[in-house]
Formats: sequence, C-alpha cells, structure tokens
Amino acid sequence: MSEQKSLLLGRRDFLRTSAAASALSLAAPARLAFAQDAPINMQTWSAAVDTVQSHINAFEKETGLVVSYGNSPWAQYREGMVAKFVGGAPLDMMWVSDSWLPEWAEAGWISPVDEFESLMKYNDEAEQFCTDSMTYKGRQYGLTYYTDFMAFLYDEEKLTAAGFDAPPESWEELVQQSLVMKEKGISEYPMMLAMAQESWLIEFMASLVYSHGGRFTDENGDAIMHEDEAGAVEALQWVVDAVNKHGVISPACVETGELSGLKAFASGNHAFAMVAKYRLRMLNDPEQSQVAGNVKQAMMPKGPGGEHATVGWMRFHGMATQAAQDQQRAENTARLIEWFGGKANGEYKFQKLLFLDIGAGFGVKPLFDDPDVQAAYDAYGDVEIIQKQQALAKKKDVVTPWFGEWNETNGAAWQSAILGNSDVRAALKKSAAKWDELKASY
Amino acid sequence: MSETRTDSAQTAAAGIDYRRRQRLSRLAQKLVIFLCSVVLAFYVLAPISWLVSSAFQTEAEIVSVPPHWIPENPTVKNFTAIFGATEDEEITYETRSGVDPAAGGFIPSTAKDLPKAMWNSILVATLVVILNLLVGVPAAYAIAKIRYWGRNGSVYFILTTRVIPDIALVVPFFLVIRKLGLLDTISSLVITYLAVTVPFTVFILMQYFEGLPDELDKAARVDGCSRFQALIRVFLPLSMPSIVAVVLFTFLTSWNEFLLALMFTQTSASQTLPILLAAFTSDFTVSFSFLNAAGVLAIVPPVIVAIIFERYIVSGLTAGAVKG
Repeated sequence: MSEQKSLLLGRRDFLRTSAAASALSLAAPARLAFAQDAPINMQTWSAAVDTVQSHINAFEKETGLVVSYGNSPWAQYREGMVAKFVGGAPLDMMWVSDSWLPEWAEAGWISPVDEFESLMKYNDEAEQFCTDSMTYKGRQYGLTYYTDFMAFLYDEEKLTAAGFDAPPESWEELVQQSLVMKEKGISEYPMMLAMAQESWLIEFMASLVYSHGGRFTDENGDAIMHEDEAGAVEALQWVVDAVNKHGVISPACVETGELSGLKAFASGNHAFAMVAKYRLRMLNDPEQSQVAGNVKQAMMPKGPGGEHATVGWMRFHGMATQAAQDQQRAENTARLIEWFGGKANGEYKFQKLLFLDIGAGFGVKPLFDDPDVQAAYDAYGDVEIIQKQQALAKKKDVVTPWFGEWNETNGAAWQSAILGNSDVRAALKKSAAKWDELKASY
Repeated sequence: MSETRTDSAQTAAAGIDYRRRQRLSRLAQKLVIFLCSVVLAFYVLAPISWLVSSAFQTEAEIVSVPPHWIPENPTVKNFTAIFGATEDEEITYETRSGVDPAAGGFIPSTAKDLPKAMWNSILVATLVVILNLLVGVPAAYAIAKIRYWGRNGSVYFILTTRVIPDIALVVPFFLVIRKLGLLDTISSLVITYLAVTVPFTVFILMQYFEGLPDELDKAARVDGCSRFQALIRVFLPLSMPSIVAVVLFTFLTSWNEFLLALMFTQTSASQTLPILLAAFTSDFTVSFSFLNAAGVLAIVPPVIVAIIFERYIVSGLTAGAVKG
C-alpha cells in the first residue's frame, strides 16, 4: 500500500514538474523578446520578400533602428491583418491596398501620415491617381510602394496573320478584327476577358467603364452606373454583345479568373487580352509563355463617347494607429515609410528594385527617366505607351466602406447580364439600388 | 442420374449453355470491375502524375496545348532553387534573389525557405502527435473505465469543443497567444493544434477502450497492476489500430492546418508548409511549375507516414464507429 502510494505521488510529482517545465520553456522566448528593444513591426504580404529584406537590412545599417519583418500570403492577408488589429498584435507599418483604406481608416486601425512633411514632399512627383487612392476623407494615409493599371495587350503575330497592321483603336474595331480572326481560324475567342467573381473583377469592369467614358459614381459618391449617358450601360452592353452576338469572347469568361485568363493568353489561345500591365514581362518571357516576343501593348480601346482611359490601382505603406499614438514610434515608422515609399539615399530605391526584380509598376514619375528602368522596359515593352497609358489611369470610384458588400451584388449583376439572364439596364439598376441602399445605411 | 442426363439433354436441346453463360457473366463482371478500377486509378493518380510531371517542366511547357504528360525539356531548376540556396548569407541589394539570373524571374524568392518550413511542419506535427497521445490516452482510459461523478458531462463537454468552428476560435486564441508572448513561434501552433485535436483523440480512444471488456481491466488489477500499468500493459497493445488512426489524424491535421498558422506565424522562423505554399502565389507572380514542385515535396511526409501505418489504417479508421 505504501509502495503504491509512493508510486502515485511520484507520478503526480512527475506530471507537476513536467507541466512547470513545459510552461517555462514555452514562456522563455516571450521573456527574451520582451527584454529586447522594441523594433519597428513591419507586416507585408509575401511579395518580393528578398527585395524587401535587402532594403530593410540597408535601412537598419543606415539608421541603427531594428525592423521586425513579417509576411503572410496575399490571398489571406486582409483577413489576417484584421485579426491582428482586433487582437492587438504589435504593428507599426504595413502594406495596405487602396481597396481596404476606407475600412481600415474607419475602424481606426491605420492613421493619416499627412502631418509628416518628410513624407508629403513626395506627392509632387507621384501620379495623381496614386495620391488620390491613398486619400480618404481628405487625409492621406501613406506613401505608394507599387502601382499599376489595367493594360490592353495583343498578340502581334495573330494580328498580322489576320491581315491587320495596327491594333484596334476602339472596342467596335476590336470586334471587327476579332470576327476576321474567327473566320480565318486564328482564334476561337480572340478576346480574353476575365469576369469571374474575384478581387480582380472590379478592375476589369472599371477599365471597360472608364474607356467608354462612364463612371460608377458621381463626384458626390452617388450611383450613376445605371444612367444611359454617364454610366456603365454602354460598357456592359458591349461585353454582352461580344459574348452572345459576336462570339468573340467566351461565355466561360464569367468563370475565368485573372490568373487563368493570363495563362490562357500565354498559351496562345487569344489575340487580345486585358490584364495588369506588369504581366507584360511574364508574357514576353520564353520561360513562361508560348507567345513570348509577340505580346505588345496598345492604348486601351475606347467606346463611342470615351477615351483611352483605364483603371489604376495602388498599394501603399501605411502607419498603424498604435504607432501613431506614440511620438517616438511614429517618427521611426515615418522614417521607414519614407525609406520604402520615398527616397532612400537620394533615389526611389525600393520602387526601382521592385520594378527591376518582378516588373511591378511604380507610382513616381521620375523613374520613367531612369536609364535602368528604360532598358528593362525596352526588353519586353514600350515605355512610351506605358507612360502614356499610366497618365490616363483613374482611381476606382467605388472604394468605400461598403465596397465589398456592393461588389458582390454588382459582380453578380454583370455576370447575369453576360449570361443573358437579365437585361443590361435592369442589371445595372439593381447594382445602383444596392449602392444607394448601402450608402444610406453606412 | 438419368434425370440429370435428361435435364442436360433438354438444355442442350433448347440450345442454352448455362455454364458458358455463367463463365461469360463472371468474365463480364471482372471486366466491369477492372474497367472501374482503371477509371478510379486514373481519377486518383492523374492529378498526382500531373503534379510530379509539371514539377519538372518549364512554365512555358506547362501552358502548352495539348499538355505534355511527359516533359519534353525536363528541368530540375525548381528543386535547385529550393535546395541550392545558402542559408546564412545576409540578404543585400547584391545578393537578393531578384537579381540572380540562376533563380529565374518567376521562382519566388522565398523558395529557399521551403526546407525550413517543411522542418517546422514536421516538428509541429510530431509534437502534436506525441502530446496528443500523452494527454489523450490517459484521459480516454479514465473516461472509459473509471466511473466517476460528472463522467457523462465531461464527455459532452469534450464533444462540444469539437463543434466550434476554428474561425470562431481565432481571435480568442490570438489574444491568449499574444498575452503569452508566443506570436511567431512553433509553440503557438503546438498549443492551439492540441486544443483542436485532443477532443477528437479522446473521443476515438474512449470509444475503443469502451469496446474492450472490463474484465481485462479487472484481471490486470487483480494481478497487481495499477491503473497506469493496466493502461500501458494491457489496453495500449490492444488499441494499436485506434492509436494509429489518432496518430494519422493528428499528424495530417497539423500538417495541413492553415488558418491558425496564418494568424500566429509571420516569419520563416515559424511558418509552416501550407503558409509558405500559399505565399508562393503573390499578387505579382505565380509559377505553376514551381508550386507543383513544392507540392511534390509537401506530399512526401504524409505519404511516408501512410505507408508506415498502412496495415492499421482501415481498421483504425473504423475504430469507435460502433460499440463492440
């Protein structure tokens, strides 16, 4: 009995000791972390990680400040950041998409940076739509790290084979050229348009609408997308006709995401495509594309009352509110934002590196004159066209706190019209009604 | 005898050869089974074959129409990018992978982190399996074989924790992990995965232990075993199928888990394989070829575990399904 008792106590002692040891070992890294000087916490999505890290290392050497750099996948970045904001994770600087700005600003998770003169001085050299995209309710929330626009690309070989000397200037001309290509058996669906319900959809729709001279909302933020003259009616009607009447766009476009469409274009299935401009590099890389060397950029075709306008978007370096509330943290964070979004040692180093490494666009105009940038662009594109098109880029006019909710309805309405399940005007009226309803409720 | 002969004669006279018919019927049955097996095998193996094949193709070859099931220009550069990197070199403007032509413009710069992420995944999964058994086996034995006040209540409580979706646990978990200062550590994953897997472990093992006769327990106690010894020497050897099922479940759950790892890890020091694989699809670039090469590596450990425990898997998966 006594033997059994001692065994029982021994086991309990063992369990108790094990539990204590486990707790200590788990807590040890935390104690070490708290003991160190607080670093600047920088959070990004997992893009160009090496490039970011090299620029951070240079920053640390230059300033003596320490940066704690974390990254997570792009597709889940927003959800992860929301959990981190809510959970109070230490954050100072982070990458922000223009689409999330109203949500994050309204929630008080990020703070304006327009009180830092050292950051505002770069606005003079930034594209206007970039600055506009970082501005919410009159306050600027960061400095641009990357920007791009929706580009119109074409396969020169197919165009020549169809007997055309130049790419289409207008959407109507695109239909005519496509019909010839179909007739000659060059491509079954010459135009690649990705209209699946995904994050890219609004960019595709906005490009079509802007190039037709329309808008989704007016200056006051009221819905005009359903209006015949000023809205999206012509643009959506063109898509509906291209799919159902002319057969130059596949009906499967409503299931085609940007990436799938890109790969289809890279495999040589299409003659025309609307994709992000930075895809040009990949499409002309023989390692990645079957049509390498043939892909050229043209100005976005225009509708009857439109111009060659397109949509531009951007991501920026933002400052967390928890950093802004502490003067020293805010100043250190502003230095890091300037290092990435402004000039580092007198040049737009990070934006240039990002462009040279992965072809990501930049939002500061002086870089177009940089010889390295020009040489890189010349290898796969036409810098003049790129600059000309970027100058016609406009920010998305639907980025609001209710954008995500409205976008679901709007995307479904467009898809419904494309599939012939509803009339174009009825679809856009539904979209406008949803916009008005949400605007009133927020 | 004469009647049989008469029957055969009548059958022959009627022109019906039942034996031949039976043989044909069996043959047809086998043929149908064979064809179904071929279709099933193709259905299961085709994606894996494509995964392996495309891991050795260039991006341009992957998008070729029709697809090449056997690479025309096989390349191992995806694997070179993963295993060829030097670990401790400081990343500077000159050494960053973006300017390294050997790495290829479309191979993610984080390719070199993949072995580390694999190690993290193996470490987390192994620790979760071990801790699950350490906690789950005694708990299940106690619930199954010891009658105590609140026994049913504790079973229902454990089951209740299984019906809470992971997404609802993210923020509470995050707050706890942050308070403990365990963000971006392996420990955060081990702790949270245990919370998710232990209830299942206890439930499966409890069902299995309940199926074993109480007389075994009593006999062991009469022979001088303590509760602990009865568990170790009698019940555990008899429960191998269910233990294997638990090991597989917890290992694969930990190996594949994404949501919690996404929230609690930030750097390559703690990121597990699913996070790194997802990160290879950035908003700028994606390489199907490289992703598939990483996918090939990702399925190797689970396949090895499955092969090791293969003979226990079927019996283990049905463990606890019915009371014996």
